[in-house]
Order: sequence, then C-alpha cells, then structure tokens
Amino acid sequence: MSATQPDNANKSTAHDSLVRDAGAPPAGLRVDGVALVRGGRLVQNALSLAMVAGEVTLLRGPNGSGKSTLLRTIAGRLPAAAGAIECNVPVLYIGHADGLSPALTGRQNLADWAMLNGLVDDDAAIDAALDRMQARAFADLPVRRLSHGQRRRVALARLTLGPSSALWLLDEPNSGLDAASSIALDDLISDHLEGGGMVLAATHLPLGITHSPRTLVLEDMA
Amino acid sequence: MSPFEVQLRRDLRLGWAGRGDMAVMLGFFLIILTLVPLAVGPDAAFLQPIAVPMIWIAAMLSSLAGFTRIFSEDVRCGWVDQVALSPLPLPLYVIAKAATHWVIGAVPMLLATPLMALMLYMDTSHLPALLLALVLGTAALTLLGAIGAALTEGARGGGGLMAVLVLPLAMPVLIFGALASAPADGGIVTPHLMLLGAVLAVLLAVAPFIAAAALSETESESGA
Repeated sequence: MSATQPDNANKSTAHDSLVRDAGAPPAGLRVDGVALVRGGRLVQNALSLAMVAGEVTLLRGPNGSGKSTLLRTIAGRLPAAAGAIECNVPVLYIGHADGLSPALTGRQNLADWAMLNGLVDDDAAIDAALDRMQARAFADLPVRRLSHGQRRRVALARLTLGPSSALWLLDEPNSGLDAASSIALDDLISDHLEGGGMVLAATHLPLGITHSPRTLVLEDMA
Repeated sequence: MSPFEVQLRRDLRLGWAGRGDMAVMLGFFLIILTLVPLAVGPDAAFLQPIAVPMIWIAAMLSSLAGFTRIFSEDVRCGWVDQVALSPLPLPLYVIAKAATHWVIGAVPMLLATPLMALMLYMDTSHLPALLLALVLGTAALTLLGAIGAALTEGARGGGGLMAVLVLPLAMPVLIFGALASAPADGGIVTPHLMLLGAVLAVLLAVAPFIAAAALSETESESGA
C-alpha cells in the first residue's frame, strides 16, 4: 500500500492492514513534515522520521510533547494537521488504553482480537501468546479484576500473534510491568526486530533490547 | 468466523455481562407506564385513548436512557482503536453494536408491552399492529441513538446533549409509529407502518456511516 494524500493517508492502512501479504517492497514507515495538533494546540510543527525493516525507534520528550499523539496519528486514529505519513506494513497499536473490555476475560479479549484480524482461532495459539507474557494464570478472570500491569501483559500478548513484518506502535509499553514481564517484553521486541519487524515506542523507562535503538526527541514547543 | 460475526458474538457476550444496565431500561419503561394510571386515574375511559401514545413515549424515553452505553465502554477501553486497525469496517462495527443493543434493550420492552397494554385498557385488537410498529420504531430509534452516542462520545454531559440531538430527529418515528399502532380499519399494514419502515430503511443506510465517521477519531481514556 502506498497512500500519499497529505492528511489521512494512513487511514487506509486500517482495513486491510493485518492480513496483507508481506511481499510488497520496500517495507517501511515514512513520516514527512507532520504537524500535530492536540486539544487545539500545535504540539509539533514538522516531524520527520523514516524506518525500515528491523529498526527500532524510541520517542522521547517531556509530557505533552506529542509522543502519544504521533503514535495515534500513525495508527490512523488522529488526522495529521499537515505533512504525509506512508506506511506499507501492517500496524499493531497498543496505546494507553489496553483495548480490553473489562467485562470479558483476558482470553476472550485476546481471542476476539485475533479472530477480528483473521490471525488465529485455535486455543493453543492463544495460550502460547499468553505464555509469552506470562499472562496465562489470570487470563480467565474478567479484565476488570486484573491489576494495571496484568492488563498490560494481556494486551501485549497480542504482539506475538501479529505478522512478523508489522510495525508495532507502543505507547509506554512497560509502564506498570514487573521485572520479569519487562524482560519478557524486551525479548518480544528483540525477536520481532530479528524477524524483520519494526518498533516505534514512546517510553520513559529503558528497554533492555539487544538492538541499538535510534532516538527521536520531541521538544516542547511552549 | 468473519470479523462481523466475531464482533456480534462479542457484543452479545458484553450485553449479557451488562444485563443489569439493560434491566434498568426495562424498569424505566415499566415505571413510566405505571405512573400513567396513577396520574390520570384508573378510569378506562381516560386511559384507553392515551394507551398507545403513552407506550410510545415510554419506549422512546427508556430507549434514550440506554443509548449512551452503546459505544462508551469500547471507546474508553480502546477497543474501537483496535477495530479501526482491523479488517472490520467501522460501519459494520456500528451495525453489530446497534443490533445487539436492540436485541438486549428493546426486545424485553416489546415482551412487556402486552402486559402494559392491558393495564392501560388498550383495545387488544390493536396489539399486533402496536408490536409490529414498535419493532420497526425501536430499531429506528436504536440507529438514531447510535448516531447520537457516537457524536457525543467524549463530550462532557454527553447524555443530556444526546437527548437534545436525538429526540427531535425521532419525531417522525413517534408520529408514524403512533399512527400505525392504532389503525382505523383494523388492518395491520397501513401507510403509516410503511412510512415507518421507510424511516428505518433510510436510517439503516446512513446511520452506520455517520456513526462510523464520528467514531473514526474518538479518543480512548487518557489516549493523548
């Protein structure tokens, strides 16, 4: 896919993103002169960023500098005020909100998400995904009874089910995680990069990944 | 299982898990109608002419009480974000949400309607026409509610704003619905019922797209 309209170019990634074949050349993300507006206020006026397969970029910057807004914009959930975003790989987005309905169990949430995206629909694959984030023990409880860190682990288990070429957009992925699950997440990210995936993460906490990340610092425009 | 079926099954599960909320809607419907004989007096001569209009008003108001819940949880927890990135188009997601909301919210009301009709001394020969009109009318109302809920998602005081948005648009439903429920010649399929069906058909065609457009940029909780 090569959407080029300046505004909501990335919107079109929304519908066929996760089930598209990964053969389309060249895989990558290009953010070109994107301006971000948050609550009627300009938070960034011209952000540019390019990523190819196997790369990881960390977004840094003070609170309110537009890190989450940039991730939501790339995910197609907010329009860019100016500039262009091109992305020709599937996108997996894990934002502040986990995307887990509190009334359903972690397993139901994960299985529904996988089936919604046409990925897997057998219990063994779901179990394996939960195991990667050590989330199987509490996967059959309603999400409303889980702690913040436990919810996060169920949400992150999605990452293991997606296609290997995917771009992961992670918003504070390791906030609320204990030491063991932080390491599990680091392994997940390292494996994904090894397999030719891309990761764009906004985080204040260090990630212990094997690949050396590039850092994009978002300055406050006050 | 197609993405649409997955969403539908998920919504039925969510509806069942949140059945207490829906019981509130049914309770509201029953209470409004129970208040009528208390206010007007138990005289059949007064109650019979207003039975059909009161059932319609009660159905409208109690439906309105449930609409804010159509999307709120999914937006807050970030599920809408995941749907937007999935192969399921947002308009189909809206249809799944509206359909399950109708099944869980409106069907109990329809089942309680014969009892309420008896209490209000309604002419029971009109009951089939009333129920048929209510089926179409509540479905149309649910689609209007989906538009209102999507538009006011994230707005402060969304519930009150939604009532002001939806009720004026619901007037055709009320007018044709009430007329179709008390057919003069005893026939069930009246021109009013057909017009009510036309309103539903138009809403079925446009509401999913309007609601989806409104949902396409909603914010999840602290999803800055």
